[in-house]
Amino acid sequence: MHELSICQSMLKIVDQTMEQHEGAKLRKIFLDVGRGSTIDPTLLKEAFAVLTSDGPYIGTELVINDIPIAGECRACGRDFVYEELAFGCPNCGSTDIRITSGMELDVKALEVDD
Amino acid sequence: MSRVEIEKKIQSENDRVAEGNRRIFNDAGVFVLNIISSPGSGKTTLLEATLDRLADKLNIVVIEGDISTERDMDRVRARGASGVQINTGGGCHLSSRMVADALGKIDLGPADLVFIENVGNLVCPSTYDLGEDVRMVLLSTTEGDDKPMKYPAIFHEASLAVMNKIDLLPHLTYDMEKVEKEIRVLNPESEILRLSALTGEGMDAWIEWVENGMRRKKAELEG
Repeated sequence: MHELSICQSMLKIVDQTMEQHEGAKLRKIFLDVGRGSTIDPTLLKEAFAVLTSDGPYIGTELVINDIPIAGECRACGRDFVYEELAFGCPNCGSTDIRITSGMELDVKALEVDD
Repeated sequence: MSRVEIEKKIQSENDRVAEGNRRIFNDAGVFVLNIISSPGSGKTTLLEATLDRLADKLNIVVIEGDISTERDMDRVRARGASGVQINTGGGCHLSSRMVADALGKIDLGPADLVFIENVGNLVCPSTYDLGEDVRMVLLSTTEGDDKPMKYPAIFHEASLAVMNKIDLLPHLTYDMEKVEKEIRVLNPESEILRLSALTGEGMDAWIEWVENGMRRKKAELEG
């Protein structure tokens, strides 16, 4: 797995933003991590601990919003989560479904002490 | 204490480099496929069988991705491909940066078609755009018929799923219809092909698919 390189990419994005907040202390990083993104939040937090064990982000908290894989049926309109799927919509059985969430891997926001 | 909104994909740097690759591919007018599968599904064998049928009339470049050895590049070169082997040294997927560096060693001028054979892995490559036109997943009949729902990311991302080793079906309890249903649930627009790279069954449809893809790409670039 490559949570370490994903964490490095995340920290580059954080660095770019923190350059515009000179002198501020970074308290929290907010991430959206979808369960279908292939990235494991526990391993990501471990990688984060390793990469921020010294430097400007010691003590920064990584806050991960764990997003389930979910979708909607285009035939009957029913929303569902991935675990309910079995060859199609759990309500009408149609395979005309759309995955609407669960693939995210996004830096949403930072919380800084200005 | 203040909240600073960012709303940026973690993969945005990979995606930026991928767009650069895409521009290079488009300038060269090539059709590019990123082939993703578990180790042993038959990626290289499929490329060999494809080269046997197309290398005489098309200039085909292969970018090979493996942790180590040049074995796959040797095999496709023997069938008429040119290209480059990338060794990741332990990395579990190709990144757009690796492909960008490889493109620096390749002359795409005369090329018609580019295959990127990704590192054997059904998980990690799915989230790395390399600049391809088509992300393709290869699944073989010896891998069990319960795989698509277990690997949602790649089956959701891939626009083409190729089922390989159909010649072995008589020896297996493999429910092909179930597998195809699961693939369509994860990606209703996904095209699905069934073939045997070894025996040649279904290869005509695959070759036709590739040639149609090249024609479509050419029309898009001219239009």
